[in-house]
Amino acid sequence: MAMRKFSFLAFSSLGIAGCLMAAPARAQDIKIGAIEILTGPNSRYGLAIRNGFDLALEEVNKTGVLGGKKIVIQYEDSAGNKDQAVNGARKLIGLAKVPVILGPTLSNEMFAAGPVANGQKVPIVGTSTTAAGITAIGPYVYRTSLPESDVIPVTLKKAQEKFGIKKVAVMYANDDAFSKSGYDVFKASLDKMGIQILTTETFGSKDTDFSAQLTKIKSMNPDAIVVSCLVEPASGILLGARAVGIDPKVRFIGGNGFNSPKLGDIAGEAADGTLVGSPWFIAKDDAANTKFVEAYRAKYKEDPDQFAAQAFDTLHIVANAIDKAGAPESDKIKAALQDTKYTGVMGPFSFTAERDPADTSGVVVIEMKNGKFQIFK
Amino acid sequence: MSAFLDNFMFSYEAVIFAVGINGLLALSMYAVLAIGQLSLGQAAFMGIGAYVSALLTLNLDWPFPAVLLAAMVVPAVVALIIGGPTLRLTGVYLALATIAIVEILRIFLNASTMTGGALGLSGIPNKTTVLLIYGLLAVVLLGFVLVARSKLGRAMEAMREDEIAAGVMGVNLPAMKMGALVVSAMIAGLAGALNAHANSFIGPNDYSFEHAVTIVSFALLGGIGSPFGPVLGAAILTLLPEFLTSLQDYKLVVNGFIIVVAVLYMPRGILTWRIGRVG
Amino acid sequence: MLAQIFQQLPQQLVNGSVLGATYALFALGFTLMFGVLGVINLTYGFYFTTGAFLALYGTKMLALPIWLALPIAALLTGALAVVVDAILLTPLRRKKAPELSSLMVTLGATLLLYSSMTAFFGTEIRRLPPSVINHAAIALGNARINMSQILILAVTASIVVVLLAIVRYTRFGLSMRSLAENAEAAELMGVNTDAVVRLVSFISGALGATAGVLIGLNFNAIQPYMGEAMMLKGFAVIIIGGLGDIKGALIAGLVIGVLEALTAGFISSELKDAVAFILLIATLWYRPVGLFGRAPVKRA
Repeated sequence: MAMRKFSFLAFSSLGIAGCLMAAPARAQDIKIGAIEILTGPNSRYGLAIRNGFDLALEEVNKTGVLGGKKIVIQYEDSAGNKDQAVNGARKLIGLAKVPVILGPTLSNEMFAAGPVANGQKVPIVGTSTTAAGITAIGPYVYRTSLPESDVIPVTLKKAQEKFGIKKVAVMYANDDAFSKSGYDVFKASLDKMGIQILTTETFGSKDTDFSAQLTKIKSMNPDAIVVSCLVEPASGILLGARAVGIDPKVRFIGGNGFNSPKLGDIAGEAADGTLVGSPWFIAKDDAANTKFVEAYRAKYKEDPDQFAAQAFDTLHIVANAIDKAGAPESDKIKAALQDTKYTGVMGPFSFTAERDPADTSGVVVIEMKNGKFQIFK
Repeated sequence: MSAFLDNFMFSYEAVIFAVGINGLLALSMYAVLAIGQLSLGQAAFMGIGAYVSALLTLNLDWPFPAVLLAAMVVPAVVALIIGGPTLRLTGVYLALATIAIVEILRIFLNASTMTGGALGLSGIPNKTTVLLIYGLLAVVLLGFVLVARSKLGRAMEAMREDEIAAGVMGVNLPAMKMGALVVSAMIAGLAGALNAHANSFIGPNDYSFEHAVTIVSFALLGGIGSPFGPVLGAAILTLLPEFLTSLQDYKLVVNGFIIVVAVLYMPRGILTWRIGRVG
Repeated sequence: MLAQIFQQLPQQLVNGSVLGATYALFALGFTLMFGVLGVINLTYGFYFTTGAFLALYGTKMLALPIWLALPIAALLTGALAVVVDAILLTPLRRKKAPELSSLMVTLGATLLLYSSMTAFFGTEIRRLPPSVINHAAIALGNARINMSQILILAVTASIVVVLLAIVRYTRFGLSMRSLAENAEAAELMGVNTDAVVRLVSFISGALGATAGVLIGLNFNAIQPYMGEAMMLKGFAVIIIGGLGDIKGALIAGLVIGVLEALTAGFISSELKDAVAFILLIATLWYRPVGLFGRAPVKRA
């Protein structure tokens, strides 16, 4: 606890110092922008992303880009508010004159800030915006996070092969865009695979009591329960399912939001057997990932999550694009981004013509066992 | 110089918009506070205005002036419908009934497929301009100043000071309350439509209880002695986070602290000056 | 279909009662603070959060058992509530500031308090160590209930009984009622209003903390904004039950909880959250003083 507090203080004082001294002391530095949720109830995601960026930045700046120039990130806090995200984008483009923007954190924020960057022909690269329609905003909007529509079918197919599930109950948080778009994908995939949906139950993303919905689901005897929501309600649902006596053999299948070490911390053994598909997994056994996890633990004294991992890769991808562009200019960077060929902690990466991630081979299906995720085989 | 100005306008356009739109919201709050009522429904009226306008633009491609008009009329009709039963209430009861309306709207928007559920509506074309926002703000402000200087303004002030006495003196309380609520709903709806067409995206959670409380705080911080107070309060609370950006994690802490100190030392708001009356 | 309904019903009633008890438990301190002191104090939710975090610290870092951590959390939080009231609201009362300024000052304070807490603890959820209470469920026919749920029901019931006894039979209860009725008259009649205000703040804070600990124990989602999330339902409960009405808060909480469970179980979970607010509007329509309230006291 003390450590954490300290690192928070250290962070903010660095931030203050950074702003007061007008960070880019040297003219040859290349300043890029990032809009993330750094304060307020959803700051957890933005702070993880900032950690991922900063860690990658250290590596990149060891050699620099464009013949030894250093990259500097100017952060704008959106506080989870779309108006502030727009504001951040405008300041980064108009005042800081950044050639490329990372973020924002939430899909909703991207729907508001994306058009601003796109209108000014500044590439904006989302690292955590998984909703449908993000890259349709315009030709300058990119994302490195796999949309749910690439991840969820993989999970469902595996579960169907393994357990032969025929009828499921579906639950999702209907007041949050991330969960809702995950649900839309689940529904489409289930329909396509011919799996029967017995009932669809909704809840609020801040709810803590799910017993009524779970009791109803229990009475319908599903083969599995498919859930789209963030990790907080997810933990509550898993614990609640045990409390109302849903058979532990009934598998829970989760979307991207479930992929957090928190799930095991909070739900403990109630989470056992939960299946989740994810573009990244902490114990994925390859050299790049192991190195990343170690460096992250050393720097921040905690485990990275998926948001940090995606941010880490994204900064490398963007830095490479700047280097290849030959100059820190938006259109050249856009062209270089489009040609990205990179292998990072999430696996091989390139963009489709629609500026979404092209490669889904990095998707892993993981299973909770004794409070920890492991690869599901 | 002009390049600098262009740059400045581009970078701070969202902030400049927000100050004006929040000023309108603060005035919509003032319309009810001025007769001593506390309605927290402004966020709901704003949401209705925003959604109505966005749906009309996206689906039917109505001209913008017609869209703005609809965004004022629909919340006004809603205000007329809910006004009957709710205006019998006073004080905190009215405040809490209107909170319930805000929540029910949010629940409805999340559940409705026509409004895109939690995904909201995106791709709304930007049609709002600085001139439009501030022009409308000036018109509404002028309207309130004229009202404050009239006989009607005197009746409003009497109601705010002592409703029972005002009633005895012949002020038509139900008509005044209904009128204030309808005017308030129209201004909030207008602000909602302007905001929707400045931002490309609207979602159900933009019009929540927290937002309702923020709107009240514009008016209370500024002071409700004159219509200028709420507009000033909105400007301060909208700009404050901008000035505190460098505090990073402690931004909201300081923001809260400033509000606390301001209220403790100026419980009647920053601007306590009242408009003189004629006639 | 009918068989399915009967199979669900007992469990849904348990779910609803436990949920309802958590609403009531949260609302008890709130209704006192709101009803007696006459201000919409938005900081109440923060006491709920504080209680949960203190219990978390006590059980995790100091390895205290829950029966010791709970009262300590309640006492400390009660003291915090007294301090907050003394700093923020007492000066406004002395100045005879407009009623709404107290709403505004507590709004600023919630911003300050929640964001300081977030700066220290982050926003991720935590839970009390699983070992502090047995989570195994007890079967009651078709329904299941566990220890933390029984604890919520029992504590809520006992707090209601104790509070009712205090309000009805003690001198402090009498002063409290007179303060709620008319502060100036109470003062003239020789009630030490400052002392009553302090004691009411203390009790409310302590009750908020107790609710936070028990609800944190049952739902395992302790995070800084947990109190904020309860506030809206809390408003609904205290208005439906009648401001300052303890028995009313209990009944209103239970009614909302059970109706929510039945709505989610048999109608649609999308309507679950609307139940409390529809009920609130209906109550205000037919009985603006709450289901069990007395005739309204016009404040001139």
